[in-house]
Amino acid sequence: MNEIEKMLKENKSQTDTLQPPDELEDRLRSALKKSCTHKKVKKRWKMKVAVVLITFILGGYYIDTLAFYTKKLIGYDQVMDSNLKELNQLGNGQTIQKSYTFKNEVMVTLDGVMLDDNQLLMFYTIKDPHKKVDQLELVSHSIEGLLGDYGLQRGYGSINDDKTEMKIINTFESPSIFENKLKWTFRLMKKDVDVQEEGEITFTLNKDKAMGYTLKKDINKKIKIDKGQIKFNSILASKTMTRIEGNIQNPIELVRDNITQKRFRPNYIELELIVNDKKIEEQGSGISTSKDGIKFYKNYDPIIIDLKKVQMKFISLEADYDVNEKIKIQKNNKNKSFKVFNQDIIINQVSQSEGKTFVTITTKEDVILSRVNLMIDEKKVSLQKTISDKYDKNTHKRTLVFEDIGENLELDIQRMRYKEIYNKTIDIPIN
Amino acid sequence: MDIQDLVKKSKQGDQEALVKLIMSKKDDYYKLAYVYMKNSEDAMDAMEDMIVILYENIHKLKKEDAFYSWSNTILVNCCKNILRKNKKNIALDFLKDGIYESRFDEKEDQLMIQRYLSRLNYKHQEAIKLRYFLDLDYETISNILKVPLGTVKSRISIGIKKLRKMLEVQEYE
Repeated sequence: MNEIEKMLKENKSQTDTLQPPDELEDRLRSALKKSCTHKKVKKRWKMKVAVVLITFILGGYYIDTLAFYTKKLIGYDQVMDSNLKELNQLGNGQTIQKSYTFKNEVMVTLDGVMLDDNQLLMFYTIKDPHKKVDQLELVSHSIEGLLGDYGLQRGYGSINDDKTEMKIINTFESPSIFENKLKWTFRLMKKDVDVQEEGEITFTLNKDKAMGYTLKKDINKKIKIDKGQIKFNSILASKTMTRIEGNIQNPIELVRDNITQKRFRPNYIELELIVNDKKIEEQGSGISTSKDGIKFYKNYDPIIIDLKKVQMKFISLEADYDVNEKIKIQKNNKNKSFKVFNQDIIINQVSQSEGKTFVTITTKEDVILSRVNLMIDEKKVSLQKTISDKYDKNTHKRTLVFEDIGENLELDIQRMRYKEIYNKTIDIPIN
Repeated sequence: MDIQDLVKKSKQGDQEALVKLIMSKKDDYYKLAYVYMKNSEDAMDAMEDMIVILYENIHKLKKEDAFYSWSNTILVNCCKNILRKNKKNIALDFLKDGIYESRFDEKEDQLMIQRYLSRLNYKHQEAIKLRYFLDLDYETISNILKVPLGTVKSRISIGIKKLRKMLEVQEYE
């Protein structure tokens, strides 16, 4: 098997871990009931953004576009969420209206931008006279200023019915306050075609339109976790979003773990932002590992009400740990349990048939052996698949299948993923 | 109760029997839908659409034991319908290149292959995902997609070739 096929196959282990949610059965049943009563199932009109989930409010929002057309961004009603629409209506966007036309007549127009301390939002239109705008993609975005480059964070948009026009909002890191002129470069990519053409649009920021921030506080709170501590550094609320930043490992800890092969890769930090006792919707999050350590951010909806109380609740941390432990198992093993990193793993059964070894294990629901092999007579056999998943009261029972048989068996757990619950509330001072 | 009995009961309009049929292979259906929809919510939406269509059309099914292959084809069509409807709402998945780790997958080469895979012709993509992500054999894929076996094979091999080419280019960049 070649390298590519191997890489593709690795996806299978991810697909194997997929489990339909418990609600599925009820949903199927009620879908049938609804169809029988001849009620048309009305699908929620929704748009999924990979990192961010924004619900759009459609209709019922009429803007007197003519009267203010010079101040507002037009044509983004389907793409903007209600908050952005309101900011746009209040004239917080800066109109730019500068275009770049590619050789194939595709035109990119930067309609406008919106800026606050958290992000720079770029509103642009891609027009294709050949009616194939859905085959196009602008990639390799970069915003360059005098003081540095500002990275792309996310993008979302919508295509019109006759495929001539695509309206997109991209968000970038907020440029330094000393920046005036910015150069936006991008490449046009056509599906299935390798040739890309580069384009650029230069524009000047109107600082009078910048919205700054509504709350900016250092949090500086540390909470002890399995591997050291998680530190919540700051909160920055602006009119377009609220962002909490922190770090988990400093550069020294990171280097130490890398050398000792005891790495720790946080996957997901469950953190709630609670303002005036109300939970704020999460927009997205990210964790990055670099030479500066492991840093994270969590983005939430903007908090635009009168602030009385701001709290954060650190609920849990899911991470992948280097384990590198070998556990001897035997064919007659029945319900033998052992602990790895304080997590219980029960070997329910080990059996061999048709040239395969089947190892049935039970763990807590959120424990995944993310990289596991079976040493069969000292030969490493990688996991072929996982079968017969059963979930029961927070436990997960499944059978690992390895394609070989032998006498001496050792489960070689290289990595493991699990979730630790913390449930700690932190008050954020607002005065 | 075996599959044939459940299918018979479903044909007589027994909704619970149909739910049971689906739930007994829920993992397979869900994984198939997930490969297309890429999120749990939409995968379940597709399964809801599927069960309604199955219920309305099961009397047309002649061979009871063909239920699973028939329903898989319907599920794939439901997924494609939803994707088509949502097409005008595109989601451009931009992450800061190379810095931010994806929530489900930290391996860079995996991220890269996913990214390139999404650039392939849809039909090649689909065949590759069914073959490698779900480990389905050529014949099952041909049954689900209702295309000849040879077409499945050629879609997969062309797709793999294109991926290889893209990855080679990446190395030179």
